[in-house]
Amino acid sequence: MVDSTAPGTTLAPAVSGPLAVRLRRAGELSREVLRNPTTFLGLIIIVGLITMAALAPVLTEPNTPDAYQMPRDWGAINEPPGTPGHIFGTTSTGGDVFYGVVWGARTSLRMSMIVVGFTVVFGTAMGSIAGFVGGRVDEIIMRIVDVLLAIPELIFALAIAAVLGPSFANIIFALSVVFWVKYARIIRGQIIHVKQNDYVDSARVVGDSKFNIYRKDVLPNSVTPVVVQATLDMGGIVLVGATLSFIGLAEAGLAEWGVLVSEGQAGISSGRWWASTIPGAMVFLWALAFNLLGDGLRDVLDPRTGGR
Amino acid sequence: MTAVRDEPLAPEPGVDSAPVITVRGVRKYFPIREGVLQKVVGHVRAVDGVSFEIPRGETLGLVGESGCGKTTLGRCIAGLTDATDGGIYFRLAESDRLFLDEMDAVPEAERTLQHQARIEAIDLAHRIDRMKGDSWRSYRRNCQFVFQDAFSSLNPRQLVKDIVGRPLKVYKEASGPELTDRVVDLLQSVGMGRQHLYRYPHEFSGGQRQRISIARALALEPEFIVLDEPTSALDVSVQSQILNLLHELQQERGLTYLFITHDLGVVRLMSDDIVVMYLGEVMERATASELFAAPRHPYTEALLAANPDLLEGDEEAEMRGLEGTVPDPARPPQGCRFHTRCPAAIPQCGWEVDDAVAWLADNSTTLDELSGVERASEFDAAVRFRDSDAAAEAKALLEGPEVSAPMQGALLALSASGAELRIQFTEVDPVELEDVGEGHLTSCILHTSRSTHL
Repeated sequence: MVDSTAPGTTLAPAVSGPLAVRLRRAGELSREVLRNPTTFLGLIIIVGLITMAALAPVLTEPNTPDAYQMPRDWGAINEPPGTPGHIFGTTSTGGDVFYGVVWGARTSLRMSMIVVGFTVVFGTAMGSIAGFVGGRVDEIIMRIVDVLLAIPELIFALAIAAVLGPSFANIIFALSVVFWVKYARIIRGQIIHVKQNDYVDSARVVGDSKFNIYRKDVLPNSVTPVVVQATLDMGGIVLVGATLSFIGLAEAGLAEWGVLVSEGQAGISSGRWWASTIPGAMVFLWALAFNLLGDGLRDVLDPRTGGR
Repeated sequence: MTAVRDEPLAPEPGVDSAPVITVRGVRKYFPIREGVLQKVVGHVRAVDGVSFEIPRGETLGLVGESGCGKTTLGRCIAGLTDATDGGIYFRLAESDRLFLDEMDAVPEAERTLQHQARIEAIDLAHRIDRMKGDSWRSYRRNCQFVFQDAFSSLNPRQLVKDIVGRPLKVYKEASGPELTDRVVDLLQSVGMGRQHLYRYPHEFSGGQRQRISIARALALEPEFIVLDEPTSALDVSVQSQILNLLHELQQERGLTYLFITHDLGVVRLMSDDIVVMYLGEVMERATASELFAAPRHPYTEALLAANPDLLEGDEEAEMRGLEGTVPDPARPPQGCRFHTRCPAAIPQCGWEVDDAVAWLADNSTTLDELSGVERASEFDAAVRFRDSDAAAEAKALLEGPEVSAPMQGALLALSASGAELRIQFTEVDPVELEDVGEGHLTSCILHTSRSTHL
């Protein structure tokens, strides 16, 4: 029998609990993911950014009632980086750039988690219904998806946010409306593919219910591309969100990287680069880190794409 | 023997002698759709009127080349797809079967109310696509399926314990430690053990995976298992292990098998009866020993010839292999469906216009000049060419010595007028299965009563 001679298995305990086996599998997978140095770098940056977001009140204590508003120090305008009390300098309206960077990470994390959370759940639900039920239901859902996909993400989100008026909540709403279609499309394709496997038919022969077949057989085997896409979107959403707030669709004075870049851009020509470059670099770092991790996950979880 | 379980469906008197499965005139057509509007332009006749019974505790071997509809039929029997026409019956008593046969001869309009009521009652109790509630659940439990591809029939995200224990969970038969014990018992009955409980399918070899599949199929102690080429994806040495296992399980548990395969050597070991299918129809049906000793259909002979080990002193048969390709199941040949490839074909086998056209396509370039075909029937058509030369050439070719003698013999008339060539063949009735002695059925007209009229 092949498996008893395979290396590794003989060393494993003869009988171990299901939980231990599942944990070991997860451990193996994560080791495999992190073997790639760029993926590992991405994860380190993400951990750093999330830690910064989590520790924001400790790193820079807010002194305004709304912590997400930039505090203004009118006595220190356009200070360069390195000024005591303002290590990243200040903006032309006396905002502390370091405060904006730290609390902007929190804003970005909040935005990307809400949007990804909603779009993954909603998109997966719609795509699952389309793929699993099929027929006319599939036609209707997928035509809606096609229409939404035909409009460029940024333009579409811009239109929605602009109609609703400038507010950060509206940006989140607009992004949610725009981004779910991708997941619907991905999961539908996966489900149609996975549905054809014999293990789905064996579950039918056993007499299990449709919902159980979906829950145990179809969904778990369809979900990996969604995980990859969600990771990539954690970065992409911040990028699009920052773009929208950069052009003024968020509240003025919000501690958000796009808003900061927008506020600081007037000073670039006068040599005051820090007010927009530093928050801009944060957006770059955030998007880069999630892209590195997402690509690494794809290589391991979805071997079909190969090494590229 | 399987322990008799307290099923909701009380066995009727005489049910023990009833065949576990009765297949009556089953057809399964798949629509071919074309164009933007997905209009149905034809049907692939995967299964086209197949009937047989599988007696309790026996194995029926269903043999044929790939694409002959054997797997589709197996899926219909397992209730994975519904048949287009005909019925699959579970535990259909002899008397009921005779009644249904009798009713088939009576047009629907002439049946009395009592007749209709009895048909309805039989259907609801025995016909798998009409069953509801408890009867359906009972069938679902009693009919299991082992797939050919053990790599795709096990969910890669589930542990062996979840896979094998799943049927027990579905019917709430066991849970917790009892479930684990039952799964271990099942694994042991297929030659595996407790150490395999918490492993993923990818950690096993093909043979072990097939054992896991069999353990899952046994979990509900079914009466009947459809084995869809359970060994064809395995190494020869592993094949025999699995076949032995299946045989032992059948002896121990009194299982009934439908064994689907393309390999006559495998069914010979396993089967009591053998049904040979070709292009959706049954060509021959006999007991295993009878079929191997005295095949009464050229197709069976050709299959035997493809496997030299099975030949019993017939040196000549070794020379006869199968040539050509299987015809399009959307347009199956007239008469005997095998006649296009049959080494023993005669003019009465069902030669038709398509055969002549196919021959021209394979053996000449005249069809490049084809402009249209106008069919009066499958046996009579006017083939139009772009010019009269091509028509004359085609006529000469069809009359020439290269055309097979049986096809030429079936030609009734061949007349060219201008660019049009009219081809007429002798019309032939569809072939029917006929008993040629002791339950040996064949559809080959050379072996049936029709041969005396030839």
